[in-house]
Amino acid sequence: MEYSNPEIPEGINASKENPLKEFFLLLGGIGACIAATIIILSLLAGRLAVYIPFSTEEELVAGGILPEDEGNPEVSAYLQGLVDDLRDELEAPEDMHFTVHYLNSDTENAYATLGGHIYMFRGLLELLPNENALLLVLAHEMAHIKHRHPIIAMGRGVVIGLLLASITGLSGDYFVGQVVNSTGLVTLLAFNRDQEREADATALAAVARRNGHLAGSEDLFKILRDLESRDPINPPEFLRTHPFGNHRIENVRELAQQNHWNLEGGIIEIPPQIQKLVAESELPQ
Amino acid sequence: MFDLIVFLVLLLSGFVIGNLVERNHYRSIIRREAQLRNLLLIASKKLPDEFMPCTTRMVAGNVVISVDFFKKFVAGLRSLIGGRVSSYESLIDRARREALLRMREEAQKAGAQYVFNVKTETTSLYKGKRGAIGSVEVLAYGTAVTLANQPSMKAG
Repeated sequence: MEYSNPEIPEGINASKENPLKEFFLLLGGIGACIAATIIILSLLAGRLAVYIPFSTEEELVAGGILPEDEGNPEVSAYLQGLVDDLRDELEAPEDMHFTVHYLNSDTENAYATLGGHIYMFRGLLELLPNENALLLVLAHEMAHIKHRHPIIAMGRGVVIGLLLASITGLSGDYFVGQVVNSTGLVTLLAFNRDQEREADATALAAVARRNGHLAGSEDLFKILRDLESRDPINPPEFLRTHPFGNHRIENVRELAQQNHWNLEGGIIEIPPQIQKLVAESELPQ
Repeated sequence: MFDLIVFLVLLLSGFVIGNLVERNHYRSIIRREAQLRNLLLIASKKLPDEFMPCTTRMVAGNVVISVDFFKKFVAGLRSLIGGRVSSYESLIDRARREALLRMREEAQKAGAQYVFNVKTETTSLYKGKRGAIGSVEVLAYGTAVTLANQPSMKAG
């Protein structure tokens, strides 16, 4: 009887292929599939969400889930006056109501949410050099509401969140889940930046109609650009909710040229008593 | 952003170090297998009649190898779509061959020429904890046979 343990060629039980090839194929393939699914679902969610009546949005937030006004009623009234002024220029539907709130916080931001509510933080208001820039901020937030961006974002968030949670749960691996979620987030951010660009365009048109010019609008984006550069992390644009300030300035110039809007004109100061109230409201904190 | 950097560093170090360790291990495995080729492994548990008289004893080899971050991540991606998990195949292959080698080394020390009834068992450790890096244990065992006379089978 002859018996031997011959040398078994390598590569039968373990693949000889470079593991990086498998890694990139899997990552690219799965990433592309997730991104494609999210894009399709986001587009569908965007299309469908606008059929939710505005009154439903108002009912959704009626339960007091939104932050309360914590600022000065005079400042709020001033802001509301500007918003009411812009309303007609925005050509918003009749049943849409805009309510602006002033929040006494250092946050350098303003946002629009469900039910036509706009929040203006003291931090941003203090940075704005004139009423022209303030008008553009308010018009921008109103444009979000006019285009139903908050409800679209919510619809998208729910659908995509569900999808990502299912995939993450199925994979069972923590880091794979993280990568899947990040892919989803980056894709959603692209939609977010599209919304910002759309809101910018609508807001610029509204301010141009109201003032007859767009003076001061570049000031706003320059301030936002400076805020970006002060951010210690300063991520690239694909990881951002908003396009870069520089790109938004270019966009202002392009739109102004296309629509023959004048970038020069009268600058209106924010009324001194409002500036004083804003500055004073900071003190107690 | 910070998470992303940590993740990429873990992934890269897992790949570079894991790959280096694996290549070194394979080199060592192939070298030691060549040295021990004359010590035959036999799956059968029945000793041929011409082996008598002989002495027998139990030999075992045991190894635990940890999966690296890169392998685990690739396997996690693979789990989404299915297919051959080649990143784990090399791990199991190394563990199995290392365990068999350790068993053979023990048999060689005992002066045996054969190991009969060779079996391996595989266990995964740490599999329950979420996100924990898992490792695999392979135990190889068999009956080492030392012939009293010259071996009648020709070693390959």
